[in-house]
Amino acid sequence: MQNFKNESGSVRTKTIVKTLIGVVVIGGGIGYFMYQAMRSSWSYYYSVDEFSARSSEVGNASVRIAGRVKEGTVARQFQQMRLSFILAGSKSTVPVSYKGVVPDNFAEGIEVVVEGRLDKAGLFQADRLMTRCESKYKAKVK
Amino acid sequence: MAELGRFALLLCLFLSGYAILADLLGSWRKDNGLLDSGRNATVACLGCLTIAMAVLFIVLVRGDFSIKYVVSHTSKALPLAYKLSALWAGAAGSLLLWLWLQVGFVVVAFCRCRPQEKVFGGGARAVANLVSVYFLLVMVIDKNPFDVYVAASADGAGLNPLLQHPAMILHPPTLFLGYAAFVVPFAWAITTLGYRRSDVSVPLFRQANNWILRAWLFLTVGIVLGSWWAYEELGWGGYWAWDPVENSSLLPWLTATALLHSCRTYKAQSPTAGWVKVLSLLTFSLCIFGTFLTRYGLVSSVHAFDEAGLGLLFIILLVHIWIIALGFALYRRLRYGISKSASAWRGVRFIIYNNWLMIIITLVIFVGTLFPFLSGLFTDKKITLQPEYFTKITSPGGLLILLFIGVCPYLLRFGITLGRRTIGAVIVITAAVVAGFATGGYAVPCFIICGFALLNLVADVVGYEMKPAEGGNKRTFNRRGLRWYGSRLVHFGVLLMFVGIAGSGAYGTEEQRVLQPGGTVAIGRFKIVYNDLTADHGPNFTAAKAHISVYENPGPEATINDNKPNVPANAGKLIDKLTPSRAVYTARGTAVSEVDIRRTLGQDLYLALTDLDSRSKMINLRILVKPLINWIWIGGAVMILGVMLVLISRYKPKVITGD
Repeated sequence: MQNFKNESGSVRTKTIVKTLIGVVVIGGGIGYFMYQAMRSSWSYYYSVDEFSARSSEVGNASVRIAGRVKEGTVARQFQQMRLSFILAGSKSTVPVSYKGVVPDNFAEGIEVVVEGRLDKAGLFQADRLMTRCESKYKAKVK
Repeated sequence: MAELGRFALLLCLFLSGYAILADLLGSWRKDNGLLDSGRNATVACLGCLTIAMAVLFIVLVRGDFSIKYVVSHTSKALPLAYKLSALWAGAAGSLLLWLWLQVGFVVVAFCRCRPQEKVFGGGARAVANLVSVYFLLVMVIDKNPFDVYVAASADGAGLNPLLQHPAMILHPPTLFLGYAAFVVPFAWAITTLGYRRSDVSVPLFRQANNWILRAWLFLTVGIVLGSWWAYEELGWGGYWAWDPVENSSLLPWLTATALLHSCRTYKAQSPTAGWVKVLSLLTFSLCIFGTFLTRYGLVSSVHAFDEAGLGLLFIILLVHIWIIALGFALYRRLRYGISKSASAWRGVRFIIYNNWLMIIITLVIFVGTLFPFLSGLFTDKKITLQPEYFTKITSPGGLLILLFIGVCPYLLRFGITLGRRTIGAVIVITAAVVAGFATGGYAVPCFIICGFALLNLVADVVGYEMKPAEGGNKRTFNRRGLRWYGSRLVHFGVLLMFVGIAGSGAYGTEEQRVLQPGGTVAIGRFKIVYNDLTADHGPNFTAAKAHISVYENPGPEATINDNKPNVPANAGKLIDKLTPSRAVYTARGTAVSEVDIRRTLGQDLYLALTDLDSRSKMINLRILVKPLINWIWIGGAVMILGVMLVLISRYKPKVITGD
């Protein structure tokens, strides 16, 4: 009886050790993959106000900024396929110059997220522009 | 009318609360009267919800602009079909639709039990009604579709023009059908946890199993439709952006896929019995969590609905569910100890490996989706992950899934043996890894493994057909054959889809050009000539239409001549004329680009007019060549067809005749 117990105990430890090794190896592999994938694709996400407050700290790292397209500031440079506008938060603003395709529902006064870097002249050079696809259409206030 | 709707919801809340008590007490005391009463209350709930749905439908169609929901989502000018789709355009309406479907499925699955299953059915109804109560609380307190204004508005705000597309009428309700149907396996799983151990066969498993398949079918249809809409309508040329909303429909799909496979070997004490329960719980939890995630703006999304409110109730519901489940599991463990698994079919471990793979992929996507929120917990900065994270992390996972599709058909039958097939598999894996490192991408390995999997599928079919039927009778195309072919067809569809994903992802090219009339662009084997810009008028929009000729590129000597007027002499053969356009909806001033696509099985030429200057007739044109992309939709259709075959094979007529 005693013998039997010991034997089953050692079998059990073996299984536990095996399982642990398996978990560590597989988990480590997945963790490594995730880390690699994350490292090359993460970017900080700020609101306009946060971004302005921390612009020295951010430097020219690639970031995302969320804000509102200020009315009357949208200008399209057709030949260069550029779009410039001022992104407004509640306190501060950031001038943005975007090169690329403008989403269909882009308009003045809507919430957008831009991704890019701040250049030396203080202009935010965006290479991605995302609008929110709202399920609810809000009528324009006239 | 609104009062009737609100009253119906309140009554339903009361009824589902009562049904929980009656069913719990009834199954505890094995009291037939109480169980019948619980069943009737559940059916009455369905009645109340049907009334509420009817009321909402009527006020939407008639345009009762005293109701907030109607004002926010419709307008007088909206066509009838889109008024109908406004039913699920907002959070309140879609919750009502979901709950209505859910209670309907519960009634079908658990209210028509045979006498020996009555007690079990009562327990399952109690679990399902608990979910209903939470949904109803959210609706009654927070997101009531029947909230009214003090003063009625004259007209509504209308529906977002981007949502005015046929696929968008169908896409949300099919997803909701899927989410709602998962309540059946979920309620079944929790009840099973609380069920007496001694019974070898658990009642109502066939019900749960069928509903898993149906839910999976709906979810697949919904996801495929959604991605097809994004490709056709959004003018960006992609079909999947790894947005939180999209991810939240993919996560339950992945766990449900694992669930489907686990059900295949289910017996009360088989090794997959635990898996079936855990995966059922997980799938339904992910459905609810996805709704919470996207509707309440925990993670900002492109689709964000950002309506703060009682979203927390959904989290409380999830915690509640998991506490009940863990409590039952612990109770069983203490009362009955760990059960020895019944000797199982040896292939079962491959199903478990597959489950782990699906769970890991789910987890990785889940972490990525929640990353902005999670990073906000630990640092004072929010970190978002770009879509590249997901493509990088799911590509190896997808290849593993493909490999499983390739090797499992024979592993399940023969196990790992040192035979020709195993050697073949090892060679293929080596080739795929070498090709992956040589080309630095996942596309070539994907094609290699797809070819291998296809070969195995064909071999499997041949083997199946060659095998003599039992008793030497002539093989007839029976129900079992239907199921067998159905499941192989689903896997074949997955292969086609992977070919499309890898081909369009790795070999697509993209150009963004400013063109004057007469300007040309060479891309891939096409030469594109922009001829003219014309105006077009519709009932509620004005459009500018670009006329573009597509020539077959004669060869590499054809130089890229931007903005050079006149068609070059060596333009090649005219193969198509495309007219991408840009419509401005007069009422709102929003512009929507209508893409034009030259579709072939080999590749798509995708043109989107992204901007234009009507005076000089200059245009901004986005040109994409997407090889093999149509195989994604073809693969999706094949998958759906396959599941339907399996479902038909499981259909059992009530009256057995002949035998």
